[in-house]
Amino acid sequence: MRIVVGIKWVPNTQAVRFDPKTGTLIREGVPSVVNPHDLPAVELALQLRDRYGGEVIAITMAPPSAMKGLEHVLGMGIDRAVLITDRAFAGADTLATSYVLAEGIKKIEKDIGKVDLAVFGQETIDSSTAHIGAQVASWLDWPYIYYVHKAELAREGVLLVERRLEDRVEWYEIELPGVISVAMKALKPRPVSLIRKIRVKQENPVIVWTNKELGLDTRCIGLKGSPTIVSKVTFTPEVPRKKVVYKPRDGLDAAVWLLEQLAKDEKAGKVIERAVRGEF
Amino acid sequence: MAGKVDCEKLCPLWPCEDPSEFKGVWVVAEADENGIHEASLQMLTPARKIAEKLGSDVTGVLVGYNVKQYADEMIKYGADRVIVVDDPAFEMYAPDVYGDAVVQLAKKYKPEVILVAATMRGREMAPYIANTLRTGITADCTDFDVDEKTKDVLLIRPPFGAIMLAYIKTPLRRPQIGTARPNVFPLPPRDDSRTGEIVEEKVEPRKPRVRLVKRQIIPRSEVPIEKAEVIVSGGKGVGGPEGFKLLEELAKLLGGVVAGSRKAVDAGWIPHEKQVGQTGKSVKPILYIAVGISGAAQHMFGVREAGVVAAINIDPEAPIFKQADYGVVADYREVIPAMIELLKKAREKGSLEEVLAATKQT
Ligand SMILES: Cc1cc2nc3c(=O)[nH]c(=O)nc-3n(C[C@H](O)[C@H](O)[C@H](O)COP(=O)(O)OP(=O)(O)OC[C@H]3O[C@@H](n4cnc5c(N)ncnc54)[C@H](O)[C@@H]3O)c2cc1C
Ligand SMILES: Nc1ncnc2c1ncn2[C@@H]1O[C@H](COP(=O)(O)O)[C@@H](O)[C@H]1O
Repeated sequence: MRIVVGIKWVPNTQAVRFDPKTGTLIREGVPSVVNPHDLPAVELALQLRDRYGGEVIAITMAPPSAMKGLEHVLGMGIDRAVLITDRAFAGADTLATSYVLAEGIKKIEKDIGKVDLAVFGQETIDSSTAHIGAQVASWLDWPYIYYVHKAELAREGVLLVERRLEDRVEWYEIELPGVISVAMKALKPRPVSLIRKIRVKQENPVIVWTNKELGLDTRCIGLKGSPTIVSKVTFTPEVPRKKVVYKPRDGLDAAVWLLEQLAKDEKAGKVIERAVRGEF
Repeated sequence: MAGKVDCEKLCPLWPCEDPSEFKGVWVVAEADENGIHEASLQMLTPARKIAEKLGSDVTGVLVGYNVKQYADEMIKYGADRVIVVDDPAFEMYAPDVYGDAVVQLAKKYKPEVILVAATMRGREMAPYIANTLRTGITADCTDFDVDEKTKDVLLIRPPFGAIMLAYIKTPLRRPQIGTARPNVFPLPPRDDSRTGEIVEEKVEPRKPRVRLVKRQIIPRSEVPIEKAEVIVSGGKGVGGPEGFKLLEELAKLLGGVVAGSRKAVDAGWIPHEKQVGQTGKSVKPILYIAVGISGAAQHMFGVREAGVVAAINIDPEAPIFKQADYGVVADYREVIPAMIELLKKAREKGSLEEVLAATKQT
């Protein structure tokens, strides 16, 4: 099997701070990481390869700094990586991003060989749209399924996946080539092997493609190829709340005060009354 | 030129169309054997708002098998008309097959806006619809507005954490597509006297390339947090699984369930499906009691639709106090056992008032 897995190099949003004085996000010094939700996708791809043979190719559309992210997954055992990078791709929304990724997959098919499966993470921590998997499937006209927890070959050319929705578990067979998105935390990613990372770096398997190699119409990529634009950014407005704060003498005093407020409250009063009657 | 669009400048892979030819606001609904999902009906709230601002109307879209019976439900909740595709070919859900049916309808009717509830299936299907129509899509909107001058819809979402809001436009493309998470918008009031047209449509179902081989409903022993009327929610400040047992006891007494912040989930004290917030769930209980939760924007994003927010936090400076209705500055380990005690006594006596009055005297 030849499997392509999409990864994104993202600022670690946990570390992003907000400056209330200037109203901006402080991104300086914020380290980047491979999108944590891509690691289960990488793991699933590697498990399929380990079981059925073939190779796994990581792909990312990103600035050159994302090379570090590719090295990380190469250290996990990915066989090769493709970095698609060009100023012309900057400012892309999800439609324009997915277009370039789909064209990248087509070029992998042309230069390297037939791709059986494209694997994505469920969403990214910096934009969390969960769009890319479905959009790439739309560009390639491949079938796709989200929220995958497990996958195995049912027979030649057919993948059996287990996926979980809010209230159900479903098993789908997908005709290959196809696209899957792996659910967050579905699998525990294997650790990075330093030796692998060093070896892989020496062999230098990262393929870099700019738009010279891809040859895409500039009207279809980057900002120009993006139907959506951000017209402004503001603070999130506050939800109006009563904001009554009480400093109690002790725990009992606090409990009495709080229950009293809730019992008196127009909305919460109902549930307190019900609780006292023990009726649910 | 197609209206304000210069076709020469447009990506040639996209059809060049005049945005002014697109009219109407659609809500693509999801239905199963129990009827239309509440999350889809909630989308009628922003749909009505957008339609009013555009001087347009709201159409529900329902694709499936044996779904026609539910179409009227959308009208009762605010749709002016419902387009139904009811066909055995849609007995099995496949995202591209269902999505393609909506694409065909959209090409025929040219709606200006399409809204989809971001249930798991909605999140799976909506980007396929948008992409196949070669238009933009904005995920997890928390509000919508209309640009007075251009009549572009503003799809408003928190881009990076929940602190800021981005206003996103799709100036040259139609339809303008957005999703919103369940419970971010309230259910519109139901009006049984509302009437509207039900349009039965046929589409050419595309051949499925996936096959559902088995399904298993996950048995639920308790109410999921997104349906609960009372939630006692714990954060990092709860300190461990024993603390969560206390919260559980209080929740039971109040007829509610326990939930948690991301830090509580990351610590493993509570499962991910009970996480409240931007990367968890939005909830809409009548009463939300936040215990040992600091009140980060990403957490509070999930309780926008809560009726009353109460907070117990040891730190008087905790931001939660500026976002709660009733806050007590105290250690929860003292407050919650006392609340449990008082509620138990009240239940024995049949009156909370008496118990509180007696307690205050001693
Ligand atoms: C992109 C992004 C998405 C996110 N999504 C979510 C999300 O969906 N949900 C979410 O919850 N978070 C989310 N977060 C994380 C969020 O920013 C906060 O880090 C998190 O909500 C904090 O959890 P907490 O309030 O439990 O912990 P803390 O912020 O550590 O707060 C603990 C509180 O407990 C109080 N406390 C300590 N001991 C006691 C005691 N004995 N009694 C009473 N109070 C006590 C402390 O005073 C403190 O205020 C997200 C962050 C990012 C960047
Ligand atoms: N620029 C990118 N390059 C490669 N893969 C990406 C990129 N952006 C997103 N992805 C993949 O698409 C998934 C969903 O991302 P998103 O739609 O941005 O939430 C991610 O988990 C990645 O697997």
